Amino acid sequence: VSETCKVSSERRGDVAILWTDGYINNQGGEEIAREAYAHLGQGARALVLNLEKTRIVNSIGISILIEVLEKVMDRKGVLAFCGLTPTIDKTFRIMGLAQYAQIYPSQDEALRGVGRPTA
Amino acid sequence: MTSPAPISPPSRIEELWKRIGGILEGEGPLPGRIAEAALVATGARDATIYLRERDAWVRAGERLAGRVEPGEIPEPLPEGAFVREGDLWVPLAAEGEIHGILRLLDVPSGEPPEQTALLAFLFGSLVGAHRLARLVRDAEFELKARLLELESLYDLGLSLAGQLDLSSLADEVLFRSISLTDAGKGTLVLFEASGAVQLSRSVGGDLLAARDAIGWTIPEGGAINNAAASVPTAGMKLATCQKCLAVAISVPGRILGILAVADKESRDGRVLDFTATDARLLSLFANQAAAAIETARLHREAIEKERIERELELAAAIQRQILPRDLPRVEGLEVAARNIPTRHVGGDYFDFFPLSGGRLGFLVADVSGKGVPAALLVSTVHAAVHLQIDEAKTIADLVARIDRHLQRYAATRKFLTAFFGVVEPDTGRLRYVSAGHNPALLRRASGAIEQVKATGLPIGMFPNATWREETLTMGEGDLLCVYTDGVTEALDASEEEFGLERLQRVLSGSGDASPAELCRRVFEQVEEFAADVPQYDDQTLLLVRRRRASR
Repeated sequence: VSETCKVSSERRGDVAILWTDGYINNQGGEEIAREAYAHLGQGARALVLNLEKTRIVNSIGISILIEVLEKVMDRKGVLAFCGLTPTIDKTFRIMGLAQYAQIYPSQDEALRGVGRPTA
Repeated sequence: MTSPAPISPPSRIEELWKRIGGILEGEGPLPGRIAEAALVATGARDATIYLRERDAWVRAGERLAGRVEPGEIPEPLPEGAFVREGDLWVPLAAEGEIHGILRLLDVPSGEPPEQTALLAFLFGSLVGAHRLARLVRDAEFELKARLLELESLYDLGLSLAGQLDLSSLADEVLFRSISLTDAGKGTLVLFEASGAVQLSRSVGGDLLAARDAIGWTIPEGGAINNAAASVPTAGMKLATCQKCLAVAISVPGRILGILAVADKESRDGRVLDFTATDARLLSLFANQAAAAIETARLHREAIEKERIERELELAAAIQRQILPRDLPRVEGLEVAARNIPTRHVGGDYFDFFPLSGGRLGFLVADVSGKGVPAALLVSTVHAAVHLQIDEAKTIADLVARIDRHLQRYAATRKFLTAFFGVVEPDTGRLRYVSAGHNPALLRRASGAIEQVKATGLPIGMFPNATWREETLTMGEGDLLCVYTDGVTEALDASEEEFGLERLQRVLSGSGDASPAELCRRVFEQVEEFAADVPQYDDQTLLLVRRRRASR
């Protein structure tokens, strides 16, 4: 498992999908935040974070994800997660991320959940 | 006491407070709204809010870039508003503590001091409440993180209890250890009982070469919290990390492995020291891993034991199927035979072959090895004998045919010793081949005992071997005893063997007892000799006596 988290993204209408690959720690969290803020700045309404290639998240990664969530909520946007391992799923629920972000089993369900892209 | 009469503010100030109120009630982070309200209230060109975060100042509304440069904020900070290099600095205090600073650029001159004091009071209260909310949120986060640790320990226990695959088990322990200690990297190494590395897992690169892990000297149950792990400590040689924490995965008396994490992260990118809580958490994970690894090992051993038991049962079943169920009735002869298989099924085999002219063929064999392989070899020999016995011209020919069969079809290094005999009841003539078998015993009617020795090598041992066929004559009342070494090599508690002499004594001292009775007595004596000592080789006895002519 690599310590460096890679983040890629794609815009589908007003929804941005972000894929992570690796450990979501300080570096991984910053990568996600940078990518997420770029999409928010370009008018994305909803973010879908697909974590199916991530098996570890630490508390710093979580605090950055909370910052991203707060920023999305400030803009009346939506944040959704999918592809979580059972351990990460439980971690997000305990740490309160699931209180304001939505968690879906698959990317398709997440996209349906946040509303179909407009283009 | 009467209330003071309300003062009606001038309309300009009333309008100003309305605007400020509107901004403060708006959306977005509070510090940004305060800065915006301050601009409206003072007419300044720009405003910056500094917030106190734990023991440092940060610029509000910015991420890591919001860290304040040394000297940016005057130290010590005056209690009231002050002007510095043209900027108006307003400490924002509440309850006697400064929670933030408002820095205003290019404030138009003539701002009434009482208005600045009012803004300082209002914004100080707001920033104080904001900071308190952040402290509560941080405390709540910490609390949730502790809850997560407890939940993780519980989940890991449950998960590992049913986890018998070492690889998955190692991943589970390592990932949780790294995650919950905020480590940047980690390594888990498990050792074989021999000390060799059984398994190695890493995140973020190996902290140590697996071969070096064997040399680690972490005390059982202890943790090494090494703040400068690039320097070898306590036998550890860690590469590519600044600070590490390592614990042994151990059961009493043995270290099963090592769990190490390194480079604890902070939000601002620094590498922190691991804490006592981290060490305790890692030790708890290591304890759970040790228990799970032991469970997995015991499970593997139980499965192996069960497999061996099944194999032994199968071997015993094969052997039972092959041994004759009934003894042949042959005019002029009395026969008896018995096989006692041990728990570790060996490869003893006996058989009778009624032949033309009233003759009786018989065989006692002992194949090499134990368990299913030996049982299968017995099965092969049994098939070969029954296929070849009508084709063979002599006993030596039969033995040579079986030998060729084994050389061709049986696995290498498999052989057997065997005694083949064919006796003619009328004449008492016994033709035989003893292929490396223990000496048979011929007890004459007089009670004298003669040894019938091997006439060739064991079958299947060397290619192109030959066997000599011998003949002897059994007088009336003479008895031939063929046995396997499980009888003479039966052990007692002091590991003494029953021996050939004791067998001979039983035979010579049994008078006119029938072969069946003699067979019973021999096994009785062997059992009495061995007492309750478990035996590791099959015991087989075959007796043929030529009847006395009826007078």
